[in-house]
Amino acid sequence: MQAIEAFLRGRIWIKQFVPFPEEQIQEVIDKGDATIVSGISANGECARCLENSKEYVIPFECATCGKVCRYCRKCIRMGRISSCTQLVLWRAPSIPHARPRDFGWQGHLTPQQENASKAISESIRKNEHHLLYAVCGAGKTEILFLPIHEALQNGLRICVAAPRTDVILELSPRFQQAFPDAAIHTLYGNSPEQTDYGEIVLATTHQLYRFQEAFDLLFVDEADAFPYSLDQSLERAVKKAVKPFAPIVYISATPSKTLQKQIITHSKIFRRYHGAPLPVPTYQALWNYERHIRKGKIPAALKNWIENRLKRKQPFLLFFPTIELINQAAPLLKEIEQTIEAVHSEDAERKEKVMQLRAGKLAGLATSTILERGITIPHLQVAVIGSCHRVFDRAALIQIAGRVGRSGKDPTGEIVFFHNGITGQMDAARADILFYNKEGES
Amino acid sequence: MNCCLCDQQLRFVPSWRGIFLYEVPEIACRACKNEFAKISLTGCKFCSKEGGLICEDCRYWEEHGYCEVIESGKSLYGYNEAMKDWFHQYKFLKDVLLAQVFAKELREALAHERAMVVPIPLNKEKLHERSFSQVDQLLLSADIPFQHLLEKCGETLGTKNRQERMATQQLFRLNGEAVPKQLLLVDDLYTTGTTMRQAAKTLKEAGAVSIRTLTLIRA
Ligand SMILES: [Zn+2]
Ligand SMILES: [Zn+2]
Ligand SMILES: [Zn+2]
Ligand SMILES: [Zn+2]
Repeated sequence: MQAIEAFLRGRIWIKQFVPFPEEQIQEVIDKGDATIVSGISANGECARCLENSKEYVIPFECATCGKVCRYCRKCIRMGRISSCTQLVLWRAPSIPHARPRDFGWQGHLTPQQENASKAISESIRKNEHHLLYAVCGAGKTEILFLPIHEALQNGLRICVAAPRTDVILELSPRFQQAFPDAAIHTLYGNSPEQTDYGEIVLATTHQLYRFQEAFDLLFVDEADAFPYSLDQSLERAVKKAVKPFAPIVYISATPSKTLQKQIITHSKIFRRYHGAPLPVPTYQALWNYERHIRKGKIPAALKNWIENRLKRKQPFLLFFPTIELINQAAPLLKEIEQTIEAVHSEDAERKEKVMQLRAGKLAGLATSTILERGITIPHLQVAVIGSCHRVFDRAALIQIAGRVGRSGKDPTGEIVFFHNGITGQMDAARADILFYNKEGES
Repeated sequence: MNCCLCDQQLRFVPSWRGIFLYEVPEIACRACKNEFAKISLTGCKFCSKEGGLICEDCRYWEEHGYCEVIESGKSLYGYNEAMKDWFHQYKFLKDVLLAQVFAKELREALAHERAMVVPIPLNKEKLHERSFSQVDQLLLSADIPFQHLLEKCGETLGTKNRQERMATQQLFRLNGEAVPKQLLLVDDLYTTGTTMRQAAKTLKEAGAVSIRTLTLIRA
């Protein structure tokens, strides 16, 4: 494959930023291997992110083309696209090239994992979409290794997309190890640019905007929010990134009812890889918790819970609904114990603090969002403060509960919902966990 | 509609004033707007920098051949983190819409201006590349009439230090339009004052009598 083809194949790229000389780009266009599309179509749709609402596609007097142009605000951080921006798209088809490939994974699968793994391979062979419905701690990544190896040997181009950067960063070394001779690209906001051909692309969902009809096989990890009701452009990005009729494998611990209906072939794993049931949340009232914290007081029930953890030297996470509340609670928690730290999603030291908690250097962490998925902290205990708050929906609560009891050495742990009134979402989360445990036994 | 800065939903609070008078629509939420630091009216009489009556930058110009080319000037905002983010997204990511964020404030500052409002121009290549002039766009969004009198000569500032910039010949030339006596020069960001001093000097030599300046941001 020529270097320019390796770069352009499957990508949709601003011509100006294609890292090849102008003449070379023109040459592949003249030959018909590549084509130019307008950044914003005549009916006002962004060719890269497919945004088409008037709120994000904005008209302006453009000094570049001298006309009224439109530009897309939705994907502006990837370099602004306007009507007069030329995007290059590779057109020439490729023929998959089968050959034996190295496989560096040597772990073994539980019988449930093996069944799921086989079912996924089967779906891929049949070009069918698949839903892997698996609880937190089921060992999802390992399940994917065999199907991906088979696809790689068949010459397919593969993508694993996940909504958050930390998930992608965590997958990257594991994939490098499992597929040592594959060209693996890891893409997230501000990731270093790669100009060759990625056989396996690990990307945040947003990065899929940069591709068009690129992949023969796509995995959507943490597809909890699928089909996206709030951000439909992400769903469109997934559809745009795959080749027509390519199979998509959705992976979720809490798939929506719609997704469960849309995807016909499912495999389910309701048991953790270590075989123990998921810890079930308990409820504890924490009336007017916001007001108490705002006034400088940690409510007694929560204080008790924290002190019990400290006494037993159990590491713990406290989930708060808002950053504001964390900031108010942080100094109060420090009064109880100096080594309780606060983190939030934009905290640069976030990873560092989580590692300190795992190493036993911190007693506990107060946090706003769901922490790094892959991190297993033995003996971890979790409290959700204000589990009745609207940010804690069923899926979020199940994810949070899934932090507890991940380690095979100690698969138990407490998960407490401290609430100011029980919500339907709390009950739904608890009911789902009980259901998983019941199904997991059989 | 969502806030153009944080993408949270905007809640409109209609004001009594808005019912009777034309009000520039807000496209940023109050929380985002509060992040910007407005400059109080004390400070340097040429650029609003906090501190004494004349800041160090401006004193330098006053003492080095640019004495009294500017009568007075002001800046509206300090260059804090929120402003740096805004400026980056506006100027370098070319998010033209963001000009509207300060439309109301610029309108308040300029609606009753009697002098001719003159924006600092971009050079032609730069304008073609950026696709819009960030100063013009700020004024357009605030619905303030303006007139270009200057053209930017070839080279842009960039990596040169002040001494080198001083040594650089003229930054601006006249575009041929008649130069009136009273002028208000407008720019987006005031860093050392090179741009404003050079522009003012060119215009003063062409017959302007009183030149004041307004910049959105004082770095
Ligand atoms: Zn777009
Ligand atoms: Zn244009
Ligand atoms: Zn906002
Ligand atoms: Zn000054």
